[in-house]
Amino acid sequence: MPVMKFLSGGHAAFFMVVAETITPEVGSLDAGGRARMEAIVDAALENRDAATRKQFGTFLSVIRMAPLFRFGRSFDRLDADRRTAVLRFFQDCPVALLRKGFWGLKVLVFMGYYGQEENWSAIGYAPDFDGREGVRRA
Amino acid sequence: MRELDYDVVIVGSGAGGGAVAKELAPLAAAGKRIAVLEWGPKLAEDAYTGREVEMARQIFFDSGGVFTRDRTVTMAYGKAYGGSTVMYTGTSLTIPGEVVAGWDVPGIDYGDLQQRSAKYLDENNAHKLDESELNDNNRLFRAGCLELGYNVEQFPINVKGCRSSSLCNMGCPNGAKQGTHRVQLPVAEAAGVEVITNCRVTRVGEASCDAVVADPGFGLPSVWEPGEYRIKAGVIVVCGGAVNSSALLLRSGYGDRLPALGRYLTLHPALILVGEHPHEISNFRGHPKSFYCDEFRESERFILETCMYFPFTTAKNLIGFGAEHSELMRAFPRLQMILVLAMDPALASNRVLLDGDGEAVIDYTMGPTVLDSLHRSMVTSARIFFAAGAQRVHAPAGVSFFIDRKDAGRVEEMIPRANVVPGKISVTSAHLMGGCRMGRDASDSVADGWGRVHGARALYVADSGLFPQSSEVNPYVTVMALADRVAEHIRDHAGELLQS
Repeated sequence: MPVMKFLSGGHAAFFMVVAETITPEVGSLDAGGRARMEAIVDAALENRDAATRKQFGTFLSVIRMAPLFRFGRSFDRLDADRRTAVLRFFQDCPVALLRKGFWGLKVLVFMGYYGQEENWSAIGYAPDFDGREGVRRA
Repeated sequence: MRELDYDVVIVGSGAGGGAVAKELAPLAAAGKRIAVLEWGPKLAEDAYTGREVEMARQIFFDSGGVFTRDRTVTMAYGKAYGGSTVMYTGTSLTIPGEVVAGWDVPGIDYGDLQQRSAKYLDENNAHKLDESELNDNNRLFRAGCLELGYNVEQFPINVKGCRSSSLCNMGCPNGAKQGTHRVQLPVAEAAGVEVITNCRVTRVGEASCDAVVADPGFGLPSVWEPGEYRIKAGVIVVCGGAVNSSALLLRSGYGDRLPALGRYLTLHPALILVGEHPHEISNFRGHPKSFYCDEFRESERFILETCMYFPFTTAKNLIGFGAEHSELMRAFPRLQMILVLAMDPALASNRVLLDGDGEAVIDYTMGPTVLDSLHRSMVTSARIFFAAGAQRVHAPAGVSFFIDRKDAGRVEEMIPRANVVPGKISVTSAHLMGGCRMGRDASDSVADGWGRVHGARALYVADSGLFPQSSEVNPYVTVMALADRVAEHIRDHAGELLQS
């Protein structure tokens, strides 16, 4: 069970489940990578006010339970295709509040994964304080 | 609460505050006490790590993700010794004459601003990079624009000893970018101006202000001990940026007699767009921003600029998620990027408010004309990407995640206006303007053409908050030009303002 100060244990575990649908590479992270992701997300939540954090927890619960109406199962019991379909519904939802909630969730996942220096090599990003040679080689 | 006495207090150390500090340095050298109170920290040179999340937390408000109230736009503005000049890219443009004419502020004309802008372009070493310093990301943009017959111009950049790290927006790790933290503030300090970091001003009056110094847990310690302060001052110059200056004046009670305070906020709503090339290009090495296209500034109200962002920022600006999103991220070394800036109108309804705790809330709505501009900019950018050789393009409002090259002739139908939906596509802003606009009197504005708050004897504003409408170009040079006017007015009236 992930240990996050600003997301309860159940919400934190579910966040990582959703994160694997948003960024599939999250599923391949080792324990260290998952811990770093949780730490980054936790720090981001720490910077938000209590009301926003509460809204975020509520939004995770909505995502978890919403598929009951369509598929008869909660999000974490769905196969990958249906999980994607659920998240796509939220992304394109005509209800602005849900659409914006999904955008915020997605941003936290991206921050937690792509914010880790350890994951940059997987996308070929290798910044260099002295990039002049890299420009010349082109 | 400790009490201190100064002749001049400058709130904020960015383009506005830094310029005022330097221009008032002769007064400090002559014995006047001048303090710059900066909310953010001063970082040690080795603290500029280039690590995106870490740096964003240290030098931006809310890690660069301040939300508008409706959560459709995130705003990035700085909190550091040097303000937002620490994390801009250093693109140095003079405001167009027709924009200044449209501002219609008594006493402000293009000739005056142009002359002052030229002074700062020179002071900050603004120059066009040599062709050998341009990376593929920039050259491809130019090539695409030229292929299509669009006007494309090269930005003057304010760097000295640039080593092409491309990390400008995280604070240059090589100290090359000539922000106020490198140029104006050191000059001011050498003349005796004091700069107090980690110091948040909570209230201003016309003869004093209140401030709190608190250790953020990183950066160099403030020269003042943590605690509460009341600072008496002959002159106060508010330079906290469009949002924070408005919020500070509102919190201090000026909203009652200045109905325009906080209003007419403009953001240059921005999109980050990507095209994928079939082979690697140089993109995350080399200065990220060398060209812009203003072909559509008047007709469709947007400009396009080259840009290159970091993994997290790039990821969040793509629409979608899952396998397609990951696939595009894995193409990072093949990505060409374009930044869109929409020219949003100055509307009274777009404004800075205070919440129940007295903190700033940005009440901003992207109207139909802005959404039209964002839509047209996506179509145009897709054409530029393809003209530059991209094999596929990602448009946030596209009917599919990728638009393939075989569909290059169908970008109009592949990017429908109906798909430009706030809250779904990522819209950001780094150019916050207005809220303390200049104008004729208190009925329509907050300050006069010298930045002096209407009805106040010695309270000034000197930042992008003064803009009556957007600058329609990257704003920092114009901020410095206006700050130069403010400082000149204070110097010229020092005898009456600074009687001690």
